[in-house]
Amino acid sequence: MITTVVGNYPKVAEGAYSTKLIGAISKWQRKELTDAQLEAVYQEITRAVIQEQEAAGLDLLTDGQIRWEDLVTSLAKHLEGFEIDGLSRWFDNNVYYRRPILHRAPVRKRPILVETYRFAAGCTKRPVKAVLPGPYTFAQMSEDRHFKRLRPFALRLAEILNQEAIDLARAGAPLVQFDEPALGFGRPDMKLALEALGAATKGVKAKTAVYIYFGSLNGALEPLLTRAPVDLVGVDVVSDPKALGALKRLKVAKELALGCLDARNTKLESIKGLHEVFRAVRRLVPSDRLTVNPNCGLEFLPHPQALAKIRRLTEAVRTYPGASTY
Amino acid sequence: MLLTTSVGSLPKPEYLTTTRTKARKGEVDARVLRELEERSTREWIKTQEELGIDIVVDGEQYRGDMVAYFAEHLGGFKESELVRSYGNRYYRKPIIVGKITRPKPITVEWWQFAQQLTKQPVKGMLTGPYTIMDWSFNEHYPSRRAATLAIAQVIRDEARDLERAGAQYIQVDEPAISTRPDEMDLAIEALGIVTRGLRAKTITHICYGNFAAIGPKLHQLPVDQVDLEFANRNFELLEFFRGKRFPKEVGLGVVDVHDHRIESRDEVIKNLKKALKVLRPEQIYVDPDCGLKTRSPQEAVEKLRVVVEAARAVREQLLH
Repeated sequence: MITTVVGNYPKVAEGAYSTKLIGAISKWQRKELTDAQLEAVYQEITRAVIQEQEAAGLDLLTDGQIRWEDLVTSLAKHLEGFEIDGLSRWFDNNVYYRRPILHRAPVRKRPILVETYRFAAGCTKRPVKAVLPGPYTFAQMSEDRHFKRLRPFALRLAEILNQEAIDLARAGAPLVQFDEPALGFGRPDMKLALEALGAATKGVKAKTAVYIYFGSLNGALEPLLTRAPVDLVGVDVVSDPKALGALKRLKVAKELALGCLDARNTKLESIKGLHEVFRAVRRLVPSDRLTVNPNCGLEFLPHPQALAKIRRLTEAVRTYPGASTY
Repeated sequence: MLLTTSVGSLPKPEYLTTTRTKARKGEVDARVLRELEERSTREWIKTQEELGIDIVVDGEQYRGDMVAYFAEHLGGFKESELVRSYGNRYYRKPIIVGKITRPKPITVEWWQFAQQLTKQPVKGMLTGPYTIMDWSFNEHYPSRRAATLAIAQVIRDEARDLERAGAQYIQVDEPAISTRPDEMDLAIEALGIVTRGLRAKTITHICYGNFAAIGPKLHQLPVDQVDLEFANRNFELLEFFRGKRFPKEVGLGVVDVHDHRIESRDEVIKNLKKALKVLRPEQIYVDPDCGLKTRSPQEAVEKLRVVVEAARAVREQLLH
């Protein structure tokens, strides 16, 4: 079993790597800090969260998305054609993101995340994965005043994300992950979502993953686990209590990442409870094709509880009796 | 008809915000802070009277976050370390760690303080159980439902005490209700526990979110009045009420609280008339979209003035 996090990690930690990022960003906004000075703080905090994941015993790390305000604007603000608008609610959370508005055909002038990926990968000997918004979610969470139709918009974003993914793989990312939380809400157009995902992962010389979290899995689970053009599918079995049962009724053709700790509530899962979840999927995928992680990014939690969750996860895997046999 | 009011919070004057910051750091005595909170409450009551607002509020000068305020005064909660809400903004989210209790009334003393200052009715202002649950972590109760219903019990006690003290209007805000349409029934059940048996007029304010999904259940909310933001959606929400006989009063938000621009009187009059094509005049209460606490005191006064002047003008026209 591989342990990992989904993406983001608390940017501030009163009892650990400090809250200095808050002040640094405010000062930078007031032009009292230079770009280079802010960059130094970003690097310091990124290094700290990577070291923390490493010390907690995770196998596959992320950069904690310390520079990201949210999943979509971190890409959109670097693309031509987008303007970043006011606050909108981030799915079913009491958390807000800035909605990108597309005014003309989006263009990616240069790699966006490659440099920061290289920095993160250089902070540790463990593998660091790269995380991108999925094209379907990116399109859904933006306001499209150019294409005015979801399909061409999502497919164009898929091409852009594909260029980024190829560059990230070239920079050494062993896994490029696409987050598609929008597939858990309403009636997603799964045909389009899979097509866009196919375009985004095409020719990427790394393992690829799609993660879905929040909401309920509706019709998304079966198409993803059988036909998604990726190696690994991440499923949140916490937000939708029916997800685990639904999962067991499916034939899983992909590697599975099980989102089994609640990253939206501070209550710490028991080792016993986690072992039960591991056992529930043991017939679905052999343990060498199973990844375990919190159900979504850890930034909804205050730092002490986020750290406690990843420590609990690695402890549960270490002490799982089935670990060696499956 | 077309009575004017405001949604709840009003901006804190600078002398209060700076003192609150100092008090948090322990640099200022609690008594000093309290005196300034009373001073700005007095000022806001006077301002609302001068503007001619029919149903006034205490302005919540002594509250920070609408959920954290209640969590701080209820048993069973503790405060978390910082979590980010958006951009570079962080807050401390309450954690439910034990059985929720109300050691003593929370808002009643402030309500009494405000009511003694004016002849106008002062609205009692509470945060609803579903919103308190949704905006807190829960380590104690086995489910979101159990936590919500436990909070409903203590908020009900608070509402009773407000009524006993003389409140004729009690507003129970549920801004989180629109986040998860699948939990709307739970929110309705919990709100019902709070409002059951109250003789005071009950109101709930809902904002932000998936109105299309919750709209169909709006008439089931166990309150006399549903207060909604209309201005920041260009009054498109009126379409929902068109052709229906909506059985409750509607609080009509007519000025945008997130915009610095002060709406013109004529613009608000025009929108009120639009609303009158869909709703009955005695059904409508006129107010800003939401709490005004994010505006400057000056902007808040000007927005409230437009609300009152426009409502008055339309009232006159209806009577003559």
